[in-house]
Amino acid sequence: MMEELAAGFGAALTIYNIAFIFMGVAIGYLVGALPGLGKGTATAVAIPITFYIEPLAAIAFLIGISKGSTAGSAVSAILMNTPGEPSSAPTALAGYPLARAGKAQKALKMGLYASVIGDFVSTCVLILSAQTLADYALGIGPIELVAILAFSLTFIAALSGNSMVKGLIAGLFGILCSTVGTEIETSTERFTFGSFDLYEGLPLIPVAIGMLALSEMMIQIGDRRRLEEQTDLLRGSGKPEDAVVTLADWKRSAKSIIRGTGIGIFVGILPGLGASTGSFLSYGMARRAAEDPEAFERDGAIEGVAAAESADNAVVPASFVPLFALGIPGSVIAAILIGAFIIQGVTPGPLMFIEQAELMQGIYASMLAASLILLFIGYFGQNMFARIIKLSPSLVLSTVVFLCCLGSYLQGGGMFGLYIMVLFGVIGFFARKYEFSFVTFLIGFVVGDGFELALRQSIGLLKGTPEAILDHPVALVFWALTVLGVIAILRRKKAKATTEPAPAAAE
Amino acid sequence: MAKADIVGGVLLMAFGLLLLGWIIPAQTHQDTGAAVPPALLPQICAIGITILAAILTLNALRGKTPAGKPPMMKEWAAMGAVITIILAGAALFKFVHPAVAGAFVSFATMIYMGERRIHLLILLPAGLVLSIYVLFYELLGTAIL
Repeated sequence: MMEELAAGFGAALTIYNIAFIFMGVAIGYLVGALPGLGKGTATAVAIPITFYIEPLAAIAFLIGISKGSTAGSAVSAILMNTPGEPSSAPTALAGYPLARAGKAQKALKMGLYASVIGDFVSTCVLILSAQTLADYALGIGPIELVAILAFSLTFIAALSGNSMVKGLIAGLFGILCSTVGTEIETSTERFTFGSFDLYEGLPLIPVAIGMLALSEMMIQIGDRRRLEEQTDLLRGSGKPEDAVVTLADWKRSAKSIIRGTGIGIFVGILPGLGASTGSFLSYGMARRAAEDPEAFERDGAIEGVAAAESADNAVVPASFVPLFALGIPGSVIAAILIGAFIIQGVTPGPLMFIEQAELMQGIYASMLAASLILLFIGYFGQNMFARIIKLSPSLVLSTVVFLCCLGSYLQGGGMFGLYIMVLFGVIGFFARKYEFSFVTFLIGFVVGDGFELALRQSIGLLKGTPEAILDHPVALVFWALTVLGVIAILRRKKAKATTEPAPAAAE
Repeated sequence: MAKADIVGGVLLMAFGLLLLGWIIPAQTHQDTGAAVPPALLPQICAIGITILAAILTLNALRGKTPAGKPPMMKEWAAMGAVITIILAGAALFKFVHPAVAGAFVSFATMIYMGERRIHLLILLPAGLVLSIYVLFYELLGTAIL
């Protein structure tokens, strides 16, 4: 293992790769720091550029963006009380009062250190566990795969929004969209409506850019006054007096970082829970463990920042475990990365460890390198990024719209990709506003082809005898987990609904 | 949100029935001889969407809908503006020049957002187009048009 990783370092630590990791982390950190622009948007928009660079550098660049943007979102959370992403909301709760008290630098630095620790440890867990899990996964057949995918999609649908029904509709719509184009077994076309452009199916990147980035831009541009007000808030605050993390701060935060990293890893490995769950859970536990929990939001708490950021950043590498080991994306970043892998001619899943062993070790080494580069960029660039986020929102958002168009044009077969992006931008707009999980849609769309293939093979293997599934205990376990999981989630939501006032009554 | 869910649920039900009754039969081959027909998965999805849409509608009618934030007028307007800008950019791409189209998308978005500083309105679109040219044609050495 160590020898393979050392070889991976040899492949990854070239000037060329390091330059792309560096650029990825820097761009990601900047985008993460800008309110309203998340890692999903940044990664989706950057994918088309990766088509023109070498596979390892391309994947490392995107992973750098996702790591950088996760950590960068703490900057606006602490300085402007505006989380760059929802998962940084607890950071704002504990960090903004610190910034108001003149301890912005201290909060930013602790946020950075906790981010890097969470990210680094989680990457190590990924390295140690993914291949072992993949070895088991190689023995999984189509019947098991159908059960695992059904479990993952149901779980994601149940947890990624307020309504499980809407989540499932979004997931099914995603799978339905994946059936557009030439059908694999019979080579006949489906839902092409006579258009040759649709013969190869809906292009992933324009769909992802539309759903993630363009729809978000429509909402942000519509709410531009709020963005401008947030920028004004920054101009009036941010006077750091206390700029160092002391030994006492480390002592206060150590437990929170360790606990937060563990929570982040656990949440990341489970499909669908997402970084927000991890950071809120970790923040809540740190708050409960404090002597004066009320002080967290009143005066700010350095251990609150550490708890939220360590968990938030630990989620990202851990969410790659199901992607690398099983080929199943458990998060939106993992779903987008599948697109990047496919562009580079690599199929994510357990066979990657055999067919692309050198690339995998290179990716691991790049991920570790990205953690260290994140520390470097964050430490020396935080003040600069804090100044850049004062930029007018019109400059930032118009640049993103431009990049959305460029990316869709490049990866969607020209103008066709642009039109697909607009279509899915509109669908994404409605999905966001009416709370249909676009994450579930995107994951359904990405796994749709594999799901259909596995379903066909399963039907063939079962030969019209459904009871033959009893010979597949792994599949049975996952079907049982799906049913039990759904029941548990519905019960929890019902219990929550009875303890909270009904929306109509609240109104 | 309850009203929106009722409307959305009914529309999705109609969409599911349309898929089952017309689009899937018309847009998939029925006589392929394959053990598993190409229409199977789309039909499963359409049935699932129809049933779930019915549940969504019923839940909304019974007041079991979580509170949400429907789009505001300015968000509708922004959606329309972004679509118009991109489609106008596509027309410029086709009939004038790709560089003009790219610059226009950035310029028009800034104008819509209320940016009126002339130097920014000129420098940002020009800078973006120039950066893309340098990135692809000079650094990566590949043509993208």
